[in-house]
Amino acid sequence: MHIPDGYLSTGVWATLDAAAVPAVVVMARQAQRRFDDARVPLLGVMGAFVFAAQMINFPAGLGTSAHLLGGALLAVTLGAPAATVVMTAIIAIQALVFQDGGILVLGPNILNMAVIGVWAGYLPFRLAGSGRWRNLAIFAGGAASVLVSAICALAELKLSGLPDKALGVSSVVFLISAPIEGAITLAVVKALEAIRPGFVRQPEPGRRLNASLLAAGMASIFLAAVGVLYSSPAPDGIEQTGLISGLAARVKVLVSTPFSGYEAAFLSGTWSRKAAAGLAGLAIIYLVCLMIGRLARKRSV
Amino acid sequence: MHHVVLERWSRRSSALHRADPRAKIAILVVFLVVLATAHRDVALFAAGSAVLLCGASVWARLPLAAVVMRAAVVLPFSLAFAAVCWMAGDAQRGLQLAAKSYLSALAVLLLVSTTALPRLLRGLESLGAPRFLLMVAQFLYRYLFVTSEEAQHMAKAAQSRGATAAGMAKRQARFRAAAGALAVLFARSYGRAGEIHRAMAARGFQGHFETLTPLRFRSIDALIAVTGSLAPVALRLAIERLS
Repeated sequence: MHIPDGYLSTGVWATLDAAAVPAVVVMARQAQRRFDDARVPLLGVMGAFVFAAQMINFPAGLGTSAHLLGGALLAVTLGAPAATVVMTAIIAIQALVFQDGGILVLGPNILNMAVIGVWAGYLPFRLAGSGRWRNLAIFAGGAASVLVSAICALAELKLSGLPDKALGVSSVVFLISAPIEGAITLAVVKALEAIRPGFVRQPEPGRRLNASLLAAGMASIFLAAVGVLYSSPAPDGIEQTGLISGLAARVKVLVSTPFSGYEAAFLSGTWSRKAAAGLAGLAIIYLVCLMIGRLARKRSV
Repeated sequence: MHHVVLERWSRRSSALHRADPRAKIAILVVFLVVLATAHRDVALFAAGSAVLLCGASVWARLPLAAVVMRAAVVLPFSLAFAAVCWMAGDAQRGLQLAAKSYLSALAVLLLVSTTALPRLLRGLESLGAPRFLLMVAQFLYRYLFVTSEEAQHMAKAAQSRGATAAGMAKRQARFRAAAGALAVLFARSYGRAGEIHRAMAARGFQGHFETLTPLRFRSIDALIAVTGSLAPVALRLAIERLS
């Protein structure tokens, strides 16, 4: 489910990178409230646990084996915000150290697996985790975490214009692995409760979702939806966005002045426009995030 | 194991190793964007940037063959995808995807094998990435191999007790045994985190890491950043002009 670099069109990855940043920042803030800086080791070690869990194989029928993916298990043990932070760290380490998943597509990968996948795994537990449907809720959470992130990944690949047939093959794999993840999650939760009941959190019904969290979530979804819809009719359509294309034009003028002889090549090639738009977009995202970070830091002091 | 090789490589010494991580991150991002947005003459550009990347790894005194092989970890997935694309009648797209994902992986590998992870994360922090997240990543990396080894030991121990596929007739029993092993691993990891925290608190951990050598962005780093990011752009422009 880790999308490598080069698979998504510029519009899709740039938009989702932009949407992932506020989501992760809000989640990190939420998690930091419960796990202060001094308890950071716990989150890191639990991330290492998810990596190590891949070494333990579960029989999956027909002589094949499967392993835990971990999003839902982390959500019911650490809580969803902390699980998001741990999964984000896992995805970043996988991309950097193991070349599993790309760098430009970190945003899409994080949104699919660490944000949407973890929350999809947590919601059934939160809604029905204390009643008599508890087992079913944990199973459904595990299955949903895989299924929902797979659907997101496939949708992004489809929007980038990959052939349906290739996606069909992958979707069959995900349909099989979703219930397996549910079963593994449930079995591990049961075993954990047998060792020490305190490991598994009790869902807290009745507590309303935090308003700022809700707002940030909505903003993320809105950003993602607008960007993806905008870029989908023509892949790589992000340079049509007024602001970015204006900036890109300016960037182009700046860049092309020294190469006045090459100006024709610059203007005729759509590549330069796209690359300039992509870079300008990244620069804007980066500056906005930096500014938000500064403001947030000032306010909290 | 993978990490041991990376650790060894990233602690070698060359001009690229000494360069500021922020300069290298900037080059990587520019290269990835240029590669991702390439649509025409992808084959030519891919060949050119492969030469650039190989040149950079020779310059960094990395074992070229081993680097090229290691980046191939993305190929099984990419080639499978390319095969399906080929069956769907879009062979060229499949090959493009495979080439782009391979070259991106090679570029990332070049960054992490010339930069030790703590330095890389510090560079990311000074570029504005959230510190809390980076600290989690750093702890994760530190205990990744400790915990993985523990899991391997547990798997081996279970095997030597006879927990093989044939040994356990019932699949359900094997499933439950694996779940039990994971639960034990979880509990041990949780316990270890507590010990680590107490040990760190005893040594005066205040919630953030101090470094012995702060990052300094020298003029040579600026030079490396500019030439390194201009190289793929110039290559792309040259190809565009020639075709």
